[in-house]
Amino acid sequence: MLRSTLAQQGTPVYSVAWGPDSEKVLYTSGKQLIIKPLQPNAKVLQWKAHDGVILKLDWNSVNDLILSAGEDCKYKVWDSYGRLLYSSQPHDYPITSVAWAPDGELFAVGSFHTLRLCDKTGWSYALEKPNTGSIFNIAWSIDGTQIAGACGNGHVIFAHVVEQRWEWKNFEITLTKRRTMEVRNVINDAVDLLEFRDRVIKASLNYGHLVVSTSLQCYVFSTKNWNTPLIFDLKEGTVSLILQAERHFLLIDGGGIYLYSYEGRLISSPKFPGMRTDVLNAQTVSLSNDTLAIKDKADEKVIYLFEALSGKPLGDGKPLTHKTEITEIALDQKGLTNERKIVFIDKNRDLYITSVKRFGKEQKIIKIGTMAHTLAWNDTSNILCGLQDTRFTVWYYPNTVYVDKDLLPKTLYEKDASEFSKNPQIVRFVGNQVTIRRADGSLIHLNISPYPAILHEYVSSSKWEDAVRLCRFVKDQTMWACLAAMAVANKDMTTAEIAYASIGDIDKVQYINSIKELPSKESRMAHILLFSGNIQDAEMLLLQAGLIYQAIQVNINLYNWDRALELAVKHKTHVDTVLGYRQKFLEDFGKKETNKRFLQYAEGLEVDWDKIKAKIEMEIAKERERAAATPAVRASVTVQR
Amino acid sequence: MAKGILGDASLHFDELNKLRILDPEVAQQTIELKEECKAFVDKIAEFQKIVGSLIELVDQLAKAAENEKMKAIGARNLLKSIAKQREAQQQQLQALITEKKMQLERYRVEYETLCKIEADQNEFIDQFIFQK
Repeated sequence: MLRSTLAQQGTPVYSVAWGPDSEKVLYTSGKQLIIKPLQPNAKVLQWKAHDGVILKLDWNSVNDLILSAGEDCKYKVWDSYGRLLYSSQPHDYPITSVAWAPDGELFAVGSFHTLRLCDKTGWSYALEKPNTGSIFNIAWSIDGTQIAGACGNGHVIFAHVVEQRWEWKNFEITLTKRRTMEVRNVINDAVDLLEFRDRVIKASLNYGHLVVSTSLQCYVFSTKNWNTPLIFDLKEGTVSLILQAERHFLLIDGGGIYLYSYEGRLISSPKFPGMRTDVLNAQTVSLSNDTLAIKDKADEKVIYLFEALSGKPLGDGKPLTHKTEITEIALDQKGLTNERKIVFIDKNRDLYITSVKRFGKEQKIIKIGTMAHTLAWNDTSNILCGLQDTRFTVWYYPNTVYVDKDLLPKTLYEKDASEFSKNPQIVRFVGNQVTIRRADGSLIHLNISPYPAILHEYVSSSKWEDAVRLCRFVKDQTMWACLAAMAVANKDMTTAEIAYASIGDIDKVQYINSIKELPSKESRMAHILLFSGNIQDAEMLLLQAGLIYQAIQVNINLYNWDRALELAVKHKTHVDTVLGYRQKFLEDFGKKETNKRFLQYAEGLEVDWDKIKAKIEMEIAKERERAAATPAVRASVTVQR
Repeated sequence: MAKGILGDASLHFDELNKLRILDPEVAQQTIELKEECKAFVDKIAEFQKIVGSLIELVDQLAKAAENEKMKAIGARNLLKSIAKQREAQQQQLQALITEKKMQLERYRVEYETLCKIEADQNEFIDQFIFQK
């Protein structure tokens, strides 16, 4: 039954496709492409896409990209805002068909006597010249391994995707036939052949394991032994995504998300309301040893976080919410569960970092980059690399933003990336080698300094002396800056002092020295927190330790007058101190008191500086006494004191 | 005398003295004619047979000639189209070559970056050794 006529026009509509959210329809109108939302009053997006009549289009629901092909003998890739991402060279004949593979990684192009397989970024993997006439339509099999084409000469052509390649360290694996893989160990040129009972659908090689899913089974190989894989049966046939972490791996099929150990044991199967597994890809799911992050498709501002081992939502179960739509997410791979970080790129191409663990209060989401297209965490240490506009950037220690934000620019390595041309993608970041795929499909390998990874290793095992020695050996400001941030994060102030001195941050060295002179452990901890800019935490710590005056003084020093007065009044102490400092401040700046609360309290109180000073000294003496009573505490603050 | 009377009555005797209605001479000639006619008919029939086979043969030749003619036309057309076919084939091969060239270019770029990495790493090793 006809529900409604969406659009009417003077030219024939040759092709039409649904949008990923099923709320928009894309259709052709001569040389134009039109995106028409189903809601009657919504804005229609329309643009000239080709120089000839457009014959065919396709819209992928996973990557939200649009394909179009026309009589101008070109095929083009667009994003859903109508921006051109790729335009092919003109062919000899009009392009009569285009079709996305279901997972959105590949697409097929058909023309007269021509069948082409292309990457989603547009460059072509393979070209076949079968005797078919024009291929008028192409359909992919649901597992994305086979295509069928309707040929102009009355035949139907079948094709199978082979020759996919996976590389990891010294191993190179090629799918030579539908059911055969060839493993080459580059170091000794040893070749192993892996035979499978059914055709291979997906595979992934990382962390010393190869995971292969066929239509019925899953095979897990260790790179140490190619002869005896671990095999288990799959619940549902078509696995759409395999993601690996060091300890386990994730299989995603039409029915759900399953986490398996490398021994083939099912660990967990996380779920969230409205979960759609068919639209998940490597950009929207991220796995680490203890955490799984999944970007919601219904509300793209939301990231669901799960404990990997139990499959339960993390913390209080509330998902992570950002203010704009998120396009790509990635979890760091190493370090403690408590310090697990997630980075993501939003629609405005800004790069953010935040902590995965949320202790009731909202964790800060901090922006660390702009114009970022792509990013990757290192597999062995928490080093992040990304491409920002025309620069290739490595964040040697992204956690710096939580410790000392000013230090972040000093912990970066930047390199001009304009030679990689438009829209390069980071494929992987293994060891100290980054692999980037250029828009034309060529792979580029980059080497980064191996020292930061070594530094990470030392710090994670608390070998501060070795770390300092390494930095002295390398003589690099970036290394010292990283070490400074790491030392502060781990509250090792001796190392921090050395590191800050080496990068010439004298003010910070002085502050660290002043921290060392503080009488009690609590004060020192609070000032270390202050150092990292965690004012609230510092204040809370002081108040919990009963150091009311110190808490008030912290607020006074920060010119946080209202809070200082509030604390003083609440604890009925040092009101005069606050008022005294306030008066002094006003006098220094030649201002008059306008704050009502201060006026109110100033009325009944006389500021006597002698009395205030005496009181302050008393407080400090009291604190010193307390610290003296528990001398053991002192040693635990910094290991090397 | 009697002959004359008989002759009037159109009756004749032959040499064997038998009575005949027809003049024996005429009869003789008639028979001869008859024989001659028969021979003629026979000859004509033979002639017809020969001509028939001749026609058949000519027909066959015509057919063969027609066939050859068609073949020749076909060959001529094929010859004409082979140029086009070759062109198309060349085009296809050219497309495949372009594809391979692009792949080669990709490999070249990858190789160059790998060479650079090797150089970097060698430099790093040298530096490391000298610093030690």
